[in-house]
Amino acid sequence: MFISPWLIGFVLLFAYPFFATIYYSFTDFDGVGAARWVGLANYSALFHDSLFWTSLYNTTYYTVFELPLSTLAALGLALLLNMDVKGRAIYRTIFYIPSIVPIVASCMIFVWMFNPATGIVNDILISAHIPAPSWFFSAFWSKPSLILLGLWGVGQPMVIYLAGLQSIPRELYEVAALDGAGAWARLRNITLPMLSPIILFNVILQLVACFSYFTQAQVIEGGDVGGPGTSTWFYVQYLYEQAFQYLKLGYSSAMAFFLFVISAIVMLVLFRSSSRWVYYASEG
Amino acid sequence: MAVESARQRKLVSGAAKHSVLLIVSVILGFPLVWMVLTSLKSNIQALAVPAVWLPHPVLWDNYPQMLSAVTFYRYILNTLMYAAITIVGVAVSSSLVAYGFSRIRWRGRDTLFKIMVSTLLIPFFATLIPLFVMYKRFHMVGWYLPLIVPTFLGSSIFSTFLLRQFFMTIPQSVSDAARVDGANEFTIYRRIILPMAKPALATVILFQFVYCWNDYLGPLVYINNQSWYPLSLGLGQILGTYTTNWPWVMAAATTATAPIVVLFFFTQRTFISGIAIQGTGDKG
Repeated sequence: MFISPWLIGFVLLFAYPFFATIYYSFTDFDGVGAARWVGLANYSALFHDSLFWTSLYNTTYYTVFELPLSTLAALGLALLLNMDVKGRAIYRTIFYIPSIVPIVASCMIFVWMFNPATGIVNDILISAHIPAPSWFFSAFWSKPSLILLGLWGVGQPMVIYLAGLQSIPRELYEVAALDGAGAWARLRNITLPMLSPIILFNVILQLVACFSYFTQAQVIEGGDVGGPGTSTWFYVQYLYEQAFQYLKLGYSSAMAFFLFVISAIVMLVLFRSSSRWVYYASEG
Repeated sequence: MAVESARQRKLVSGAAKHSVLLIVSVILGFPLVWMVLTSLKSNIQALAVPAVWLPHPVLWDNYPQMLSAVTFYRYILNTLMYAAITIVGVAVSSSLVAYGFSRIRWRGRDTLFKIMVSTLLIPFFATLIPLFVMYKRFHMVGWYLPLIVPTFLGSSIFSTFLLRQFFMTIPQSVSDAARVDGANEFTIYRRIILPMAKPALATVILFQFVYCWNDYLGPLVYINNQSWYPLSLGLGQILGTYTTNWPWVMAAATTATAPIVVLFFFTQRTFISGIAIQGTGDKG
């Protein structure tokens, strides 16, 4: 059978570890000895762990802002690129390139540019007499700084939106223009409904990425992971630390399963609501 | 007169569009420009407040100095090896699986395909811990095997999806004709479909390369010996070590970014259409 590579992979590298995570979450396990059954102890410890709640809060914060902002940014950039001007391909290249810069390199650039004392951003802000925050060094601004970094790299969804925009039949706009629909009405009544399946797709992917937000925070606050204070402790960073530094595999498995449950609930709500705002041309 | 003013209006709106696009380009392009500029400055010049915009003199020496201070070539070699092996894995397994999901009819095919795609929604961390324990038991932790093995088992679902989309555009009559001539499925896959799918395979290979160049979390979990570090972990190390020497850090970022940007310039079409297929499900 042709699909057997995936089928083996699915059972061995997905189904088995998925159920093993659930099992481990009810045990005390360090990866070497045998797993000892402890019932719900990990979960009750988890709910009394303030750092767990902090990391959950930080992840939620990031998601709540990053998700709509990046969607708007990607859509906005795609709409700009969809305008009828010469040299569109060049603009598209410039808009897209930030998203292929290696993640660690883009972290380096942002830490440098947003350095409170010597970075170019604050240099510009100060000379414009705008209050200059401490960005990655401030407990208040650290998350917004990470969000900015995320917004810089929206090239991927942007390209997908652009492809979607280009597949909308021109006649729809021509008819609407004849009916006297303005630019805003055309955007609301044609563009957004026609794009809605693609918006759903991108939002889902973005959501998965937000729940597992890790690399940028880990790299940027490398010397003081989670810092300043606990302002950039993200959920899976805490999970990672518990698992691979303290070898508390039972505890971290409980975190992993809890993450799965939360994301499953959010996805379910999203899919349920999608029937109200996603328009599928074939049904209409 | 009317024609004249219409032309004027077009000219004005064209200029307005270009200026918006230009401003956005400057904002999005600036971090990369600043990266390159900083990499050519002396440390004193880089830290100067108010900022010195252009490097003077231009210190090309930062590059050889940085490259010899850290084992940069080693990081690159490791990354290239990681990419080369997993590209083979992805190309072979994803094309086989995609073939099974598109060119052959069997009961439950579409259900299983949906299951495969939906595994994309499960957080990476929901299965990580038992996987780690498993690889550890097999003494595979420490080198790239835990990152390589899955690629041979169809772990790259985006690649499978993309190839399946492409395979479905090939008329079924092509296969039927070969079957009449007595070819079995594997021969059809190997001799007919695969050669036709070269553009799609090129996209898959390109994406896998970029993925490996970028991958941080995988190596972080499994590679613990510094001499096996890939580029991403090496860069992380550089950021942690040389924050007193920003020109070096930016030289490292530039060295890591340049190959991928050059690659993008030469393969832009493949790149963009590949993303569009993944996002919109049709050939963009």
